[in-house]
Amino acid sequence: MLKKLREDKALQGTLLVSPTLLFMVGLLIIPLILTLVISFGRRDADGGVIYTFSLANYARLIGFSTNCSNGVNFCWDTLYVDIGLRSLVLAFQTTVCVILMAFPLAYFIARAEPKRRNTFLFLVLVPLWTNFVIRVYAWMMLLRTQGVINGLLGWIAGLFNLPFQPLDMLYTPGAVLVGMIYEFLPFMILPIYTSLEKIENSLYEAAADLGANPIFTFLRVTLPLALPGIVAGTILVFIPVMGTFIVSDILGGRQVILVGNLIQNQFLSARDPTFGSAASLILMVLTLIVTYFYTRKFGFGEEIIAV
Amino acid sequence: MNPYRRSPIIIIATVLVYTFLYAPIIVLMLYSFNASRTNVLFEGFITRFGPVKMVDSNVVQSPCGPFHWFCDLSKNREVLNAAKNTLLIAITSTIISVVIGTMAAIGMQRYNFRLKPFSQISLYIPIVIPEIVMGIGILVLFSQLFSLLNSAFGLSGDARLTLGIGTVIVSHIAFSVPFVTLVVQARLQGFEKSYEEAAMDLGANEIVTFWRVTLPMLLPGIVSGALLAFTLSLDDFVITFFTNGPGSTTLPIYIYGLLRRIITPQVNALSTVWILIVLCAVFFLQRLQNRETQ
Amino acid sequence: MKQTLIFRFTIFFLAFSIILSGCGGAQTTSSQSITTSTGFTCPKPANESKVTSKELNIFVWTEYIPTDIIECFELVYGVKVNKDEYSSNEEMYAKISAGGTSYDLVQPTDYIVSLMVRNNLIQKIDKTQLKTLGNFDPNYLDFDFDPGNEYTLPYQAGTDAIIYNSDKVANPPASWKDLWDPTYAGRMVFLDDSRVVIGITLLSLGYDVNSKDPAQLEEAKVKLTELVKNIKLFDSDSPKTALIAGDVDLGNTWTGEAVLAQRENSSIEYVYPTEGAIIWQDNWAIPTGAPHIDAVYAWLNYSNQGDLFYLMLKEFPYTNPNKAALDFAKSADPELYKQYMDSPITNTPKDAIENGHRIEDVGEATTLYDQIWTEVKGGN
Repeated sequence: MLKKLREDKALQGTLLVSPTLLFMVGLLIIPLILTLVISFGRRDADGGVIYTFSLANYARLIGFSTNCSNGVNFCWDTLYVDIGLRSLVLAFQTTVCVILMAFPLAYFIARAEPKRRNTFLFLVLVPLWTNFVIRVYAWMMLLRTQGVINGLLGWIAGLFNLPFQPLDMLYTPGAVLVGMIYEFLPFMILPIYTSLEKIENSLYEAAADLGANPIFTFLRVTLPLALPGIVAGTILVFIPVMGTFIVSDILGGRQVILVGNLIQNQFLSARDPTFGSAASLILMVLTLIVTYFYTRKFGFGEEIIAV
Repeated sequence: MNPYRRSPIIIIATVLVYTFLYAPIIVLMLYSFNASRTNVLFEGFITRFGPVKMVDSNVVQSPCGPFHWFCDLSKNREVLNAAKNTLLIAITSTIISVVIGTMAAIGMQRYNFRLKPFSQISLYIPIVIPEIVMGIGILVLFSQLFSLLNSAFGLSGDARLTLGIGTVIVSHIAFSVPFVTLVVQARLQGFEKSYEEAAMDLGANEIVTFWRVTLPMLLPGIVSGALLAFTLSLDDFVITFFTNGPGSTTLPIYIYGLLRRIITPQVNALSTVWILIVLCAVFFLQRLQNRETQ
Repeated sequence: MKQTLIFRFTIFFLAFSIILSGCGGAQTTSSQSITTSTGFTCPKPANESKVTSKELNIFVWTEYIPTDIIECFELVYGVKVNKDEYSSNEEMYAKISAGGTSYDLVQPTDYIVSLMVRNNLIQKIDKTQLKTLGNFDPNYLDFDFDPGNEYTLPYQAGTDAIIYNSDKVANPPASWKDLWDPTYAGRMVFLDDSRVVIGITLLSLGYDVNSKDPAQLEEAKVKLTELVKNIKLFDSDSPKTALIAGDVDLGNTWTGEAVLAQRENSSIEYVYPTEGAIIWQDNWAIPTGAPHIDAVYAWLNYSNQGDLFYLMLKEFPYTNPNKAALDFAKSADPELYKQYMDSPITNTPKDAIENGHRIEDVGEATTLYDQIWTEVKGGN
């Protein structure tokens, strides 16, 4: 037996991979299949699962309904589609803002002296390693009606003797956007930095020698070379934003409902695991589709590893 | 000389972004010295030392002076328990992930077998699906599985299978392993097989070759993977939220719980402690990095 | 090299934890008296019970158990108490019914008790082991949701009514219907509780708070959708926080939260609406398959002692069904007792009780309520 082990390369390979594969199948594939099965079930009166085959949950998600008010045979209720769109829009807004903010910083660090580079980089790591929940709480303190920002603005208004009405910032969709940006900004800085760092100084010099102005250099040299980093960063930002519920929970006052909140609610207060499973799977499919088309166009971004 | 490095736009933008990154953290840390218990407005520092005295909802005197909330925190056994759990879970899941992840990376990179494409794809899945989908899936799995096993075997009392530290560790391994595997695989890709071949030519058998040649060269990749797994586990909220049980609360879950109650500056004190620990860790890392590059 | 980094990392964490655990902590001064870390002297248990379990897992509402009670129990019986929290009955029910949990005690509100009994999620109380049933005021026992108290023991009772900051609200609301006033837009906090909020809407329309009629519920859904636009924040964890911080000016909350808010800001008022407030009672229940039964009864007996349970009046002042606790407070802390009895919040006036409504299990219609809640909160 042992001899076979020594000779059979394929067997060796399989054995090496098997523990990992076991975890992947057991804790990823099987749960996903189970989620799929449950999504076709119905809930009973007390919130349990009745295993049957019914597309009712998916119909409800899309908004297809036969139970219409004006006697029409079927109509559309866009409630859940709206929630999905809201999440997509938020994810998109967050990603764009994060790219705009991360790029100058990553560029600055990449072009700084090598000795100082590490310091600047580590300054970015500190917020990244500070706990997720803590960072969301920090924004609560800044944004609330009697919080730091309003306090500062009020003090400034006082200096100029202007009347001041505190801004209504916390528990709004804007607060959720700011929270999301803050959470995911470091995830974009690092990949962009990694790809920018690879650009040699000589490239810029060559472009300057050939008479290119700054904007031209940026568009034709810097940006294309930074692209893998931007792609990797987008994957690291867009996907989690779609699924996060804690930011909208704490900063949105449980009023801003995103897909993540919807799913979490179904498993907790609304007691409909079948509907929650359906929503969860749709989210996953949506994310996979977006990722597929995105990486098809831009590549997978090896910088994801560098993070 | 690169003329664009000194561009004022870049410098201003950088300063603004760093301010954006650090302002909340600094405010957070400042408020951990807040005399006001309701922690809405900053009512100043606690300057007097002595037994605890309060005026309205401000603490005016405390045995620990301005560090009142830190002392408060140290008496909080739930925090220490949560910290202990968090570390235990992170260390255990990291060690196991690194071992099986490295094995898998070597298997994927060096061998060909039928399950290889399937394995590669299944490794990418946890990276591209939102955490909540994975968390929900695992919760559903454990709930159904445990109900089934508990009734089938008639388990009761402490023998019952339930959500707890075990389930959390197992789930953490599940999301860490792909990252470890991919990182080590990337390292293996740029690896010169010639070293190994040379060693074998010189008479070393496979095991010695692995131990003395392959592993040391893989080490930076393994360590990166380990750090990544450790960080992911330490900071994880979503998956732990769905898989934990009584007594297995981790720090992120605990802090979330604190935010749902009366928020005293104790939360800030906890945050400050965490931030300081991170700062020290990053500082160590930098010193190490500098020593290596010299 | 990098191995030493991880090594240093770990050492640092450990060192820090050791330092932290060094400061503070409870002391046992002598074999006579045990004190908690806040300086509270733990009373001796009136009924000695042998406890072999090392842990007790309780699943309770947020901000509902004084830390001194937990600490005293841990010190006296040498049992570690693991506390997990929830902020809605539905959340608690979902976790318990999903299986795979090992809680010893939960705190269901009246209406969800019958649901849990029906689904075999809680077990009968062994009256022979329970010594403190006599501590309770008979007015809080033997309700419809648990005749004869077979499954539950009262914990706290109270009302859901309207709360507002009289400094900020010029035209205070007097009825549920008033809350739809557009001048309140963006200034309200509501409990994150489907039955309560939908119930309030039903009451404002003049319907029964436990209506099962789909037509009435549909009407309530439409009306509630208007209200949700004006609600700034849903919070069942700590509704008073937003009020005290000034992020909201009025809303709907429970007894205890109102009292605590009033203590921080005396201009906060609690008013029973004309349509009638919602009356409720939270109870202790033992989940089926609880692993540490002996610790459970030790807890139920010890924590309900008058000289320990009176701490609720101080920390989480709801309406207290534990007569022994009230009697103890009368003699040991008359100031506290007077506050409790004088306040119309904790000592609900008779007419408010008579006018009030109790939420009940609605059986099949629960699905409708849950669905309305999802849709109403999702659409914005």
